[in-house]
Amino acid sequence: MSADAARRFGRNRLALLGLALVAGLVLVAAAAPLLAPQDPVKQSLFEKRARPDAKHLLGADEFGRDILSRVIYGTRVALLVGTLAAAIAVVAGGALGCVAGFAGGWLDATIMRGIEILLAFPYLLLAIAIVSALGPGVVNTTIAVGVWGTPTVARMVRASVLALKETEYVRAARALGAGGPALVLRHILPNVLPTLCVYATLFMANAVLVEAALSFLGLGVQPPTPSWGLMVSTGRDVLLVAPHVATMPGLAIVVSVLGFNLLGDGLRDALDPRLRGA
Amino acid sequence: MKRGGARLATPLALLAAALALGALATPAAAQKRGGTLTIVRPTDPVSLDPHYETTAPGAWVYSNILESLIAIDEKLELHPKLATSWDVISPTRVRFKLRPGVRFHDGTPLDAAAVKFTLDRALKGTPPGRWASLAGPLAGAEVVDDLTVDVVTSEPFGPILRSLALVYAGIVSPTAVVKAGPDFSRAPVGTGPFKFVEWKTNTHVILERFADYWGDKAPLDRVVFRVLPEEGARMIALQTGDADMVLFPSPIQLAALRRDPKFAVHEATGLRVVFVGMHAKQPPLDDVRVRSALLHAVDLKAILANILEGAALPARGVLAPGVFGFKDMRLDQLYPFDRGRAKALLAQAGWNPGPDGVMQKGGQRLTLTWLAARGRYPKDGEITEAVQAMLRDVGVEAKVEWREWASAFTQFRGDPLSFHLFTLGWVTSSTDADSSLYPLFHSRQLPPGGWNTSRYANARVDTLVEQARRSLNQGERERLYGEAQDLLAKDMVWIPIYNTKEIVATRASVKGFGVHPVEYFLPLGKVWLDR
Amino acid sequence: MAGSLTFALRRLLLAVPVLLGVVFIVMLTLELVPGDAVAMMLGEHATKAAVDRLREHLGLDKPLLVRYAQYVGQLARGDLGRSIIQNRPVVDELADTWPATLELTVAALLIAALVGVPAGVVSAVRPNSSFDALARLGSLFGLSMPVFWTGLVLIVLFSLWLPWLPVGGRGSLAHLVLPAVALALPSIAMLARLTRSSVLEVLHEDYVRTARAKGLQELAVVVKHGLRNALLPIVTLVGIQAGQLMGGAVLTETVFAWPGLGRLMVKAIFARDYVLLQGAVLVFALAFVLVNLLVDLSYGLLDPRISRQG
Repeated sequence: MSADAARRFGRNRLALLGLALVAGLVLVAAAAPLLAPQDPVKQSLFEKRARPDAKHLLGADEFGRDILSRVIYGTRVALLVGTLAAAIAVVAGGALGCVAGFAGGWLDATIMRGIEILLAFPYLLLAIAIVSALGPGVVNTTIAVGVWGTPTVARMVRASVLALKETEYVRAARALGAGGPALVLRHILPNVLPTLCVYATLFMANAVLVEAALSFLGLGVQPPTPSWGLMVSTGRDVLLVAPHVATMPGLAIVVSVLGFNLLGDGLRDALDPRLRGA
Repeated sequence: MKRGGARLATPLALLAAALALGALATPAAAQKRGGTLTIVRPTDPVSLDPHYETTAPGAWVYSNILESLIAIDEKLELHPKLATSWDVISPTRVRFKLRPGVRFHDGTPLDAAAVKFTLDRALKGTPPGRWASLAGPLAGAEVVDDLTVDVVTSEPFGPILRSLALVYAGIVSPTAVVKAGPDFSRAPVGTGPFKFVEWKTNTHVILERFADYWGDKAPLDRVVFRVLPEEGARMIALQTGDADMVLFPSPIQLAALRRDPKFAVHEATGLRVVFVGMHAKQPPLDDVRVRSALLHAVDLKAILANILEGAALPARGVLAPGVFGFKDMRLDQLYPFDRGRAKALLAQAGWNPGPDGVMQKGGQRLTLTWLAARGRYPKDGEITEAVQAMLRDVGVEAKVEWREWASAFTQFRGDPLSFHLFTLGWVTSSTDADSSLYPLFHSRQLPPGGWNTSRYANARVDTLVEQARRSLNQGERERLYGEAQDLLAKDMVWIPIYNTKEIVATRASVKGFGVHPVEYFLPLGKVWLDR
Repeated sequence: MAGSLTFALRRLLLAVPVLLGVVFIVMLTLELVPGDAVAMMLGEHATKAAVDRLREHLGLDKPLLVRYAQYVGQLARGDLGRSIIQNRPVVDELADTWPATLELTVAALLIAALVGVPAGVVSAVRPNSSFDALARLGSLFGLSMPVFWTGLVLIVLFSLWLPWLPVGGRGSLAHLVLPAVALALPSIAMLARLTRSSVLEVLHEDYVRTARAKGLQELAVVVKHGLRNALLPIVTLVGIQAGQLMGGAVLTETVFAWPGLGRLMVKAIFARDYVLLQGAVLVFALAFVLVNLLVDLSYGLLDPRISRQG
């Protein structure tokens, strides 16, 4: 980020709030064992759905597990799923988009038809396929979420590459004899990177929600792993009787998604000077 | 084994007289006619024809449209329905006298030909009905005269009468089946107290009273079955009055509903046993001491009280009480929750605690693999998690592999099964021990052919269940099944967890309703609305 | 106009290989994923013989490529086949669900556009104002909550506490309100965000500055120049959203018991009913193609400078 962009970012209150939220999440995730008052998977059936009290500050879930500890450890799952899924989507989508956009011709056509098939393909079936083949769990859920984001990234990168290809300095570099891979690496990638960063940040927000959706359908992270999505989805059945079970992990989701979104928006505003406020 | 056809006189006349005398002191008994009953349940039927639908969402609806030769009541006793009497005339042949004057909803008469048509369609059709496997050696029917029909089996079959009382064995109108073709599955025609009106996929199924019903006509004008997949939404619908009846109510709200005079909770002991199966051929579970240790390690009371919260009963064996042939295994005395005993049994089998608390034998950890799905049976996922934690407390490390039901199902049915443990449920839908003990514990009923997923093999049990299957002497059968269950209790290849309760919550204005223990029946013929 | 027509036809023809590819991949995936429609349908009690017999009857014992060829042959004759589990024409099943999906999608998009676009415009006109911050934060909240959670909360609020709306199902306009709002929430945020940035971008172009200098009223400038020029990306996003929403908003449909395509697809996937699933996927894919086409055609209307290519 250039100094200019950094300054713009620094003046954006909402972006700073986003950064603070995300930094907070990272800290909580890193210090989870220090912060969590109890073992997040330890069951204590007779304390099931205990209301918040001195022992369980945020209450206990249907197995009597400490909700606060589970929400804290859940940060790790959320960040892991978010980061890894974004990485998969950005790397796979970026590579496909670059190749398609730069190569053009039949390769471009083939890749783009493939992307269209992937877009028209029922996402849930894809998730089930991955989860049935590999079994449900944090890593496999992450792969499913990452694959979900791939076609969008590919399309976006391809469009940027196409636009950049026609810019004068890329033409000049070409005229000077720069080969394909060198062009992509030296001239195109650095130009696409800011967009990708923004997208990756926004995607992390989505990843947390998609993971929650998969959990709702029983295809996400499996217990006793403390995943927020799973906690909300199992807690919703007792919403009327024990609202605290689903509320705290729900808030955690809101806070993290909000954080990633604000950060992503802020980054985009900062990196794209045309969008500078009045 | 002759059964008379006497039926209870209708109480209506008496009630009418009582009302006329101004006997308003018993208003609860004053049955009212008319009104629409709205039922919410989690899923839409697959079909309304037993030929294509053997699961409960369809059966709840068509059990009110179609009737079988024999009815099975809430006490699981058999009664005449479309047949008024029957005689066993040979080990493979039962003769039924049909009720005269019964008409299908399309106006055609019920006769022997319709019974033959129904059974032949189910058993010999191309393809046969989806319930054909449940009918065992049931082979078809032969017309004797207009109102007399013989049901034949390919070999002597003890549970024949209960098989004919299955919800699937409802007699269909041959005229309607031929006329509608495959569309019959969305517009069934039978003889029941309600006739089909409309089915909008995933929205509603509507039935209305059949005015020419042969018996007591249904008090309700209409029944509307609506779909609400979310448990929370179903409970709200009951509270707002959007629904009069909720199937699969939220267990933790039942206590509050029972206290509230606006609502009523109806329940019956169900016929499904949910259990953790053990693979008896997979070391170390081939050692009965290790299997027993696992049984001792599970605190059933805690699971029942805290996870099922009154929505189920502790399992009393591999069968549900009420099933013909059930014998109480007294599991609470044979395998009481006792961690000390569990550890002692493991020690006898050579397993001793390692450094991290997990049992070890010759450097090998006591680690078991576990195949489980979630959401197939009530609280199955939670039970798996809880038992996993309880096993950990006696030094047994269980690694659960969660699968979505369809892939788990394929693996359960597969051979070999490479897991030590598996969470499953089994319903004795015929209400006869045969349909559990034979496919689950006979040594030749191994997957993929049968459901002996535990790979249990005991020659004596084989003999007993075979004998009981072929005998038509019900007293003898009961004794044979008793002995088989005694043997099973000693070898225990299951950790039985709970016995289902069939629970339905209604608004207090719903009267005359009783939950049927067979989860496929939802009898609405006597239900009326007090409003 | 003739140009548009050939363009549309060409695009539709190009969609055919994509659709056939989707069909093949769906079939292949279901083949690879463990699970057997027939075994599950016949249930725990079924014998192996019964399962095999029914598989044979349904033609499911044939190799994948043969079944694919048969299916494509059927499609060419306009026959979507019969659902394996329900033995019902897939066309009927789609006819039951598709209108519900369309209704919900259109309603959600309308709500999203009516709330999101004005909010975005105001945010752009007064960037970094407290309205801007509030609108962005508020809409982001809508984007940040899992729909199965907001859905239930909406039901508790508007069906239980304030008994104004029915709990679920489809029928009257009242049934539509809650699911449409729940489904619209994330789209509102995305539209507001996009409108804001597009309008902001345009407001700094020279010709808008000129218009402002000429003394045109602020609102007139924004509407005349800003919004009109921001419409392109907005329409694109609406198109993408429409495509995604039509793919079935499974969770919203489940929470509100809405009888749409999403639940149909989930049912087909869990039951491994590939014929039913194919039908649903084809409708979805076709809708996707059509929406993209409409978006591209609307570009021409919104901005005559855009020439059409591929």
